[in-house]
Formats: sequence, structure tokens, C-alpha cells
Amino acid sequence: MKIRHVMLLVMILLLSATVANAAEDKYEFKNAERAQTFKELTLELRCPKCQNQNIADSDAVVAKDLRDKVVALVQEGNSKQEVIDYMIDRYGYFVHYQPPVTPATIILWVLPVVIVVLGFGFIVFRQKKASKKQQWSAADDERLEQLIAQYQRKERQQ
Amino acid sequence: MNRKILGFLPFLIFVLLCVFLYQGLFGNPRELQTGRLGQTMPSFNLPDLMDENKRWTEKELLGEVYLMNVWGTWCPTCIAELGYLTKLREQGVKIVGLYYEQAYDPDFGDHFDINALREEVDTMLSRAGNPYQFNILDLERSLALDLGVSGAPETFLVDKEGTILLHHTGDINQRVWRNKFLPALEELQP
Amino acid sequence: MIPEIGYFALVLAMALSLLLCIFPLWGAYTGNLRLMRAAPSLALGQCLFVLFSFGILIYITLTDDFTVAYVAHHSSSTLPWYYKVTSTWGGHEGAILLWLVMQSSWTALVALMSKSLPWVLRARVLGVLGFLGVGFMLYTLWMSSPFERLLPYFPVEGRDLNPLLQDPGMIIHPPLLYMGYVGLSVSFSFAIAALLTGKLDNTWAKWSRPWTMVAWAFLTLGITIGSWWAYAELGWGGWWFWDPVENASLMPWLVATALLHSLAVTEKRGVFKSWTVLLAIAAFSLCLLGTFIVRSGIIVSVHAFATDPDRGLYILSFLAVVVGGSLALYAARVSQVHSEGRYRFASREVALWLNNIFLVVATLIVLLGTLLPMIHKELGLGSISIGVPFFNQMFAILIVPFALLLGIAPMLRWKQNTLSPLAKKWLVNVVLSLVATAAWLFSSYEQVSVLTFMATALAVWIVFSTIADLLQKVSLQTSISEGFKRLGLSYWAMVLGHVGLAFVIASVTLTSAYSVERAVAMKPGDIATLNEYQYRFDGVKEIRGPNYSGHAGVVTVLKNDEFVTELYAEKRLYDIGMQFMTEAAIDDGFFRDLYLALGEQMSQGAWSLRIYHKPYVRWMWLGGILISLAGFVVLADKRYRRRVKKEAQV
Repeated sequence: MKIRHVMLLVMILLLSATVANAAEDKYEFKNAERAQTFKELTLELRCPKCQNQNIADSDAVVAKDLRDKVVALVQEGNSKQEVIDYMIDRYGYFVHYQPPVTPATIILWVLPVVIVVLGFGFIVFRQKKASKKQQWSAADDERLEQLIAQYQRKERQQ
Repeated sequence: MNRKILGFLPFLIFVLLCVFLYQGLFGNPRELQTGRLGQTMPSFNLPDLMDENKRWTEKELLGEVYLMNVWGTWCPTCIAELGYLTKLREQGVKIVGLYYEQAYDPDFGDHFDINALREEVDTMLSRAGNPYQFNILDLERSLALDLGVSGAPETFLVDKEGTILLHHTGDINQRVWRNKFLPALEELQP
Repeated sequence: MIPEIGYFALVLAMALSLLLCIFPLWGAYTGNLRLMRAAPSLALGQCLFVLFSFGILIYITLTDDFTVAYVAHHSSSTLPWYYKVTSTWGGHEGAILLWLVMQSSWTALVALMSKSLPWVLRARVLGVLGFLGVGFMLYTLWMSSPFERLLPYFPVEGRDLNPLLQDPGMIIHPPLLYMGYVGLSVSFSFAIAALLTGKLDNTWAKWSRPWTMVAWAFLTLGITIGSWWAYAELGWGGWWFWDPVENASLMPWLVATALLHSLAVTEKRGVFKSWTVLLAIAAFSLCLLGTFIVRSGIIVSVHAFATDPDRGLYILSFLAVVVGGSLALYAARVSQVHSEGRYRFASREVALWLNNIFLVVATLIVLLGTLLPMIHKELGLGSISIGVPFFNQMFAILIVPFALLLGIAPMLRWKQNTLSPLAKKWLVNVVLSLVATAAWLFSSYEQVSVLTFMATALAVWIVFSTIADLLQKVSLQTSISEGFKRLGLSYWAMVLGHVGLAFVIASVTLTSAYSVERAVAMKPGDIATLNEYQYRFDGVKEIRGPNYSGHAGVVTVLKNDEFVTELYAEKRLYDIGMQFMTEAAIDDGFFRDLYLALGEQMSQGAWSLRIYHKPYVRWMWLGGILISLAGFVVLADKRYRRRVKKEAQV
């Protein structure tokens, strides 16, 4: 063992002696990223037994089993997507709150876009038609500004 | 003309929606399917419920069509279906039990008593009927997780090659057997 | 005997509602003024009987009459009196009766406040409301009566109210929500009456607008309280889960918000007429659809309401008649409507149209996301789930153009604008918001992701733009006080609504990005550190409430060794249902919430605890309250009401 390691060990021991009563985390991860991955996964995976809950806040046995499995998989170094795929392999798409992209579900993304495009198209079409008969120029604009200014002056004088 | 068609559009969409909503009334939204359908039985190596020296693997189950029934004595519906399953066994259906122990938790695991469980299972099966060829004890629920089991009772239909053909959540009764399992079995024997 | 009186009162109310539906509509159709004149008194009469019936339900609940099935199932003798009252809407039958109370009260209110309306319109509005009343009353009497008896074998003790519902939030959440839902039926009735009359001019928009505003304000408040209740009561620090039940309330809200903006255009400029009518129909239709989704059990939701296919079938039939009928009427009448207003692209009309598109798209996303899992399964394609990741992603995308537009739109004038002077203002605002956001976030947090920054900047942009516009409009007047006075309450409503939304956006962004939590096992004396706070676990003590017992984890919160607060995170076991409930301890603050939930007991005297630090989470509900104030402010606009009256007399 290198001397540096020994020193580190001693330091850790000393530290843990002085703050002996620091609380232990329920799930320990190697780094913050993995902890974050775990947190995200428990929020996005669905408890298959429950009414409509993710595995983070369900007390069902199966939710706890899934949670423990997620911990193990993340600790082994699996990525978020790998854990999701692992769960989908077993529990089907139902287990993930993000729907898969299939010909049947594509409507979820396409329809909103279509409506936005149609809506924009409609208003462009409508306002062109609606403003066709109106001839408005920069001169008119100026005149309008003047009138407004005049009106405001009058108001102020009153 | 164009406007008229456009005006009817909301109505038509609504009618279509109503059709789906009507159908939805008769569906069961909580019925689930494992992601393992059409795949082979995941590999496992687990002890027999009654004898920890006997170990079962997926290979020993090959060669015969069987039902794998996930159950536990803690689950009233499982007990209720034992009678019907026993009838099925008498008709020659091979049923393997996957014992799903809910109380076991490795975090608090010190007070689990396997002998008490065996006794309980014995009394239960002698009273309500024993449909099982044998029971596999999945104490850590690892095979259950691999199969996509979310609770009990659940039943899998597995063919000779070990392919999972069906997954049923909830109890098996005459109606379920006739509508769901028999057609699948008939397809196996043309 | 008393419950039967309650039932009979409902029968009478339904008879009056039936007359309320037939007389005025027939009168309006044949031009018989006497029939039309019967409407207001019928409306008041049915309301009195419904209120009487509801009073009886409260009475039998307070007196613990467990011969009545509803009381036996949803109350108990040990329940505190205020939760006994709450229990009258804690179950399905009672909730529907509460809906009836709201429905008949709104109807009576419309009857009282619509004196300035022409008789034909007034009669039709009340007639349609009467029809809706009949539909719900028939449902109550036929399949969901709260007065049914459990005779001869009745229990000596009730099954108690679901512990989740024993919370102050639950006392006010359903009434507020129902006020909103049912209030939208008034906008709906105005729209149908206008369609029946065939006069879709801006007058109906003018009359409908204040009603819609108030209904929308209640709905906003109801949703806000619901979110707060979930946060405080469900014990995992969440405030929105995109559950079907939440979605069921969000959809009408989104459409009603679109409707408010569209009504403004229709009223002031006489354009978008047919669109506005469609929105008014859609808003209430979505309320009915939401009721169907929630009550029929076709979709799995956290809220386990009693589900029954017969009831579902009735609601679906009612839905089909009401919505199908009105959409058919719409289809038949809409081709006669022509809008004549003229406007350029850079105008307030177009901005409000875009607002409507975004809100409708948002509604569509929620609708698809809620119903597609069911349809997917029906088509034999298997089960899928659509939840938090999907909705969050879609709404995160949608909010960007929406918030940008929201900053720009109030500065636009009707008809048309020259953009160049405005463009300069926008540029200044953009720069200011970016600088302010940078100053805010970088001074508070070490890490700021691009997405968090952009989303926060959007919220700041909305506030700055709103203030800039406000100052600009005030500066046009002689003095500041004069300027503030002249702006008018509907302008102030807009300011409140938009700033409220900015608060919500900022809160959702920051609390999502910077909430931290720890799940720890603690023995007495242990200290857990989270952000700048230390949490010292001082052990658990036994607690005993009126109908529960349990443990409270005592936690002292310290900051730099200085005492901040002491929190009691409870785990309750309710006596009757033997249900465990986590009662989170919350130290609320303007800038952050400290949230503690007690878990299970572990070995060697240790307890598992979840500690959350949630920055700015309270802004969400603050924002919701501001938004709802926008609706109530308009109600106070006397000028508005007077103008309506004057024009009605002409």
C-alpha cells in the first residue's frame, strides 16, 4: 500500500471519528452523476402494480424491488438508457413514463406540430385577405401618431 | 362549402373519440403484459420451496408445455384460484408454482422463517387443493423481476421450447381459461 | 326519514329543472314571453331544493347516521366535525351532489344577474343550464344517490374518510374546482344560446366574458390548491404528476384561458367569432370529459374513485348528447358567421390568435397524452405509459414561443403596428432580462445549465416586458396616479395574470433544477447536512390525534450551528382503516421550503427519513393565486358592468 493511501485512510478514520453521528445515505453512489441518474430513473419508471405512481414514491413490494434493481444497475455503471431498456425488456413499455416512438404513438409529436403550422398558415392567409382592401402607408402611420399625440395633449390640458 | 366541412370537423372528431371512450368502458386498464412475450424463459437457478437442496433451472422445464403460476399464501386471490388450478391439473395440465414471498426483504431479512412458511404452504395446499408439480422458491423475487411480474397471482404459459406464449395477471377461472389459454393451447397442437 | 326528505328534495329540484329546461326554450322558440318569464323563478326554486338536500346530507353526516350508506362509507364518529363536512364531498355520490349545488347556484346566479339581457337570450341561457341540471340530477337520483340506506343491517361505526382527504387542502380544493367546472357551463350556455339565436355578434362575447373570467379564476385557484395539497399531503414533495385527474382539470383551464383571450378579440374587434364559440363549447366539454375520465375508471389514475361501468355509460351518454348536440348545432350555424374586421400581421389580433394556437396545442398534448394509452391498448398494441418525461419535454418546448409572445403581445395595438419603435424596446428588454437573470442565478448557484438559464430568463422577460408596458402606458398620462387610475381593471388583470405566470415558470424551473434531497437512516443525535442546513434527528415521540395514532420524528434544523426551526415529521396510523399516512413536516419560506418525511423504522433505533430542500417552490402557488386574482379583479370592474347595462338598454 502506498503511503498516500494509508494517509488517506487515516484521515477518513479520523474524520469519521469526529463526525461519528453523520447520517448515512440509504443509497450510496460512486459519484454525483450516478446519484442523479438514479434519482431521474426512480421518477421516470412506473410502478407496475400501483394506480399511477413512479417507483420513487410507491411503497409496493414490486416498486421496492425495482428500486433496488435500479440501484444495483446504476452502481454497476449502466447508463440511464441501459437501465430503462432493462426494465422495458421485462415489464414492457408500460414501465417507462416516456412513450416509445411507434407508428401508433407518433401522433403525439406530429399532431401538435401540424396544428401549429396550420394555425400559422391560417392566420397568414386570413390577415392577407382581411387587410387586402386596406391601403395603409407610412404617411398614414405618421398621421395616426400625430392624432394620438394631439389627443393626449388635449387630455392633459383639461 | 369549404366552411361547412370545416364546421363539421369538430363534430366528427368528437364522434370518433366517443367510440374509443365507449370501448374503453369495457376494457381493464390495469391488465398488463410482460415484456418477455415470445421470448424464452430467462435463465434461473433457484431452490425448491420444500427442499433447499433441490435446485431448479429453466433447462429442466424444457420439453413440456406448462403453466408457471406466481403465488403466495399471503394473497387471497391466489388461494381462491387454487381450486380451479387443481381441476386443471387433474385434466393433465402441468403447473409449476413460483412462490412469491412478499415479506422477505434483504434490508430487514433477519426474521424470515423458511420452516414456518413450508408448514403454512402445506396446510394451505392440503386444504384448498394442490395444483403444483413442484414449487420454486424465489425468495429475492429475482426471477419474478426477470419475468416482469408485478404481484400475485400471475400466470405464464410456456411451450416445449421454453417460449413464453401468454402472460395473465389476476386469477384464472373458467372464463379466462376458455377465452385466453385454450385458444393458445389449441394453436400449439394443430 | 330525514335522508328520504333529502332525496325527495332532489326529485323536486329535478322536476323544476326539467321545467326550467322546457319552458324558456319553448318560449324562446315560439316567442311566448310568459313561458320565458318563468325561467328565473324556476332557476331559483331548483337551487333552493338542491341546497336543502345538500344541507340534509351535511346534517346526517354530522349526526353520524350510519344507516345511510354514504355516511357509513365516508365518515366516522371520531372524525372532527370539519372533516365530517368535508366528507360530504369526499366520496363519489357526495361529490356529484356538490357539483349539483354548484350547478344550481350558478344557474340561480345567472337568473339573478341577467336582468339586462334580452328575454330571448336570457331564457335560452337559463334553459340550457336547466338541461345540464336535469342531466346531473337524473344521474344523482338514478345511479348515485348519497341518501341510500343500509337497512336493516347497518354498521355501528363508519369506515372513516380516506386519510389522504383529511387535510385543509381537501376542504377547499373540490368546491373551488367545481366552481370552475360548473362556471364554464355558463359560458357554454351563453355560446349555445347565441348559436340558437343565430346572432354571433360581439354582444354575447361581452355578456359571457365576466362569467368566464370568474369561472376561470375559480378553476385556477382550484388547480393551485390541488397542487399544494398534493405537495403537502402525498409525502414525496411532488406538486404535479400529470396524472389523468390533474390533466382532467388542466385541459379545461387551458381552453378557458384561450377562451378569455379570444373573447377579448371578439368583444373588442368582432373577429374570431366562430372560433370563440367553439372554444366556449370545448372548455365545458372538456370538463365533462374530465369527469368521465375520472369517474368511469377507463384510465389508471392515482385517485381511486369508485368506478362502475354503468355510471361511466351514463356520463358518456350525457357527454355524447351535450357535446355532440352542441357541436352539431355549431356545424349547422357556423357557415353563416362572417368576420369583417381588418388587421395586419403585426397586430394584437394576430398575437392573440397565436396565443390561442399555443394554448390549444397544449390542450391537445394533454388530451392525447391522457387518452392515447387507452386507445393504444384498445387497438391491441399493448400497454404504454405517458407521463412526466413526455409532458415536461413538450411543455418545455411550447413555453418558449409562448412566453416570448407574452412579453411582446401586450404592447401591440389592435389592427396594426409599425414594428420598428417596438423592436427597440424589445431589444432593451431582452438585454435587461438576460443581465438580470445572470445576476440572479450566478450569485445564487455554482452551476447554471443553459436550459435553466433560458427558462428563468423567459420568466424575467415576462415580468420586465409587463412592467415596461405598464410604465409606458402610465407615462402617457399627466400624472402617475392619474395614469394608474386610467389603466382600467382589465389591464391590471392582464398584468396580474402575466406576472403570475412568470412566477410559475420561474418556480417550476428553479425548483426542478435546484431541489436536492437525501434519503437517510438516522439514529437519535445523528446529523444530516443538505445544502446550508443541518438536520439533527432528536428521536421519535408517540402522537395521538382524534382518529389516529403514530410517531413523529423530531428534527432540529440548524444553519451554521444556529437554531432555525424544529420540525415534526409524522407517520400516522388511522384507527379505522388501519392505513399508514405520511404527514410531511414543512418549513415554508419565500425562497425555499425544507420538507421532511418520516419513513419506516430500521434496525437499532434508526429511522429512515427523506429530506428535501426545495428552492422557490412556493412561488408556484403564489403565481397561481396571482393568476386567479386576475379573474376576480375584472369582477370588480364597475365601469365594465355599467357599460354592459347601458348597451343592453339601447
